[in-house]
Amino acid sequence: MAGSRLETVGSIFTRTRDLIRAGVLKEKPLWFDIYNAFPPLRDPVFRRPRLRYGKAKSPTQDIFYHEDQIRAKFYSAYGSGPKAFDLFNPNFKSTCERFVEKYIELQKLGETDEEKLFVEAGKALLAEGVILRRLEKARTEGSQVSRKSEPMGVESQTALEENPPLKEVPQPQHLEAPGEESKGLSPP
Amino acid sequence: MASGAVLPRLLGAGVRAAPRGRAAPRGRTLGSAAAAAAPEPERDSDLSARILSEPLKHSDFFNVKELFSVRSLFNARVHLGHKAGCRHRFMEPYIFGSRLGQDIIDLEQTATHLQLALNFTAHVAYRGGIILFVSRARQFSHLIENTARSCGEYAHTRYFKGGLLTNAPLLLGPQVRLPDLIIFLHTLNNVFEPHVAVRDAAKMNIPTVGIVDTNCNPCLITYPVPGNDDSPPAVQLFCRLFQTAVTRAKEKRRQLEALYRLQGAPGPRPANPAASPGAQAGLGLGVAP
Repeated sequence: MAGSRLETVGSIFTRTRDLIRAGVLKEKPLWFDIYNAFPPLRDPVFRRPRLRYGKAKSPTQDIFYHEDQIRAKFYSAYGSGPKAFDLFNPNFKSTCERFVEKYIELQKLGETDEEKLFVEAGKALLAEGVILRRLEKARTEGSQVSRKSEPMGVESQTALEENPPLKEVPQPQHLEAPGEESKGLSPP
Repeated sequence: MASGAVLPRLLGAGVRAAPRGRAAPRGRTLGSAAAAAAPEPERDSDLSARILSEPLKHSDFFNVKELFSVRSLFNARVHLGHKAGCRHRFMEPYIFGSRLGQDIIDLEQTATHLQLALNFTAHVAYRGGIILFVSRARQFSHLIENTARSCGEYAHTRYFKGGLLTNAPLLLGPQVRLPDLIIFLHTLNNVFEPHVAVRDAAKMNIPTVGIVDTNCNPCLITYPVPGNDDSPPAVQLFCRLFQTAVTRAKEKRRQLEALYRLQGAPGPRPANPAASPGAQAGLGLGVAP
């Protein structure tokens, strides 16, 4: 039986159709009529993947919502919140989610000041019985550097403290970090 | 295809050994034996032509649209792609966006592609085509083999030897019938390169259906379905969908053959009461848009 093995030339359909038209391929393959009746959305033609050069970026957009700003403020102030995340439940609402809902409700009522809204939403959650503990130190961009070095271990603390010229800004947070680690370890 | 129906399936380990034969022709007596013999082959070929051409006239003859919904795809986590760094350039049209670095696949597009793919699979199964499920993910190897066995088709989830498709007469035997459709549940192999069977199927002019994740190349796959191929719920959903589509198509074929046989030769063969209402319902289901 004749065939064409040139997978880089056209699609299987165009090759088979042309072979049939030329009379080389005597029998129509089983899938030919089905493909004719229901063609795919894109012809399965070979394309060579080319790299992007220079400043060309892929057109895929980031997905952000307006609530993300509220969530960012919540996480920087309170961390993850008191309740653990249960991802098995599809309708699960975390503390942050409830906070965001309260925030939006209050915003719809007419409030405009962000600080006030934040505080009012916190108070509304407290009224429902959710206690929000503020973080010991404010979470900022700079502290992410010290956060990455935390898992290095307690024994390397001295090595870190001996490098004051490298990290000057996070230095006071550095010294607090081992303190917070021990605080985190003692309760459980 | 008449010759395809007669050749026994030699691929695989004897899941389907019996050739699809037709019952001995019986028909109305037209007064003489010679006259009775002549119209029989015409009617048979006419019937088989009708059986083959009838489903192609409807846009969704096997009603595969009802098997899934965008909500069911979402619940099975089909929309979750890999991180943005793993993204393949040709998957960008199918990606809805990137949430905090993780690509999210556009489920509206997935739904249309999946409907086309299931429809094609069902039509191939309806015509008695051989379907081969291919995957190289060891986590789902057992599930895929069971899926293939349950719908009476074939699976290859082990190491794919070099010339299996391109040098089949040597590796498998002289008169081997190659698959008419290859379904890839994982397009990549264990070293994250495109599976050899994708290129080989394109070489051997075998249409392919494939679940393409955000790090896969969808170019050579005839009917790509953009979706998650790593989460167990997603792979289980896809296995279930393909199995249902194939089983439905084969059932419909049996029903229609019985129906046309009844309509074509109402004489000696007793009418099967169980077959005709089912077949009528099946035909009605296919005709309604």
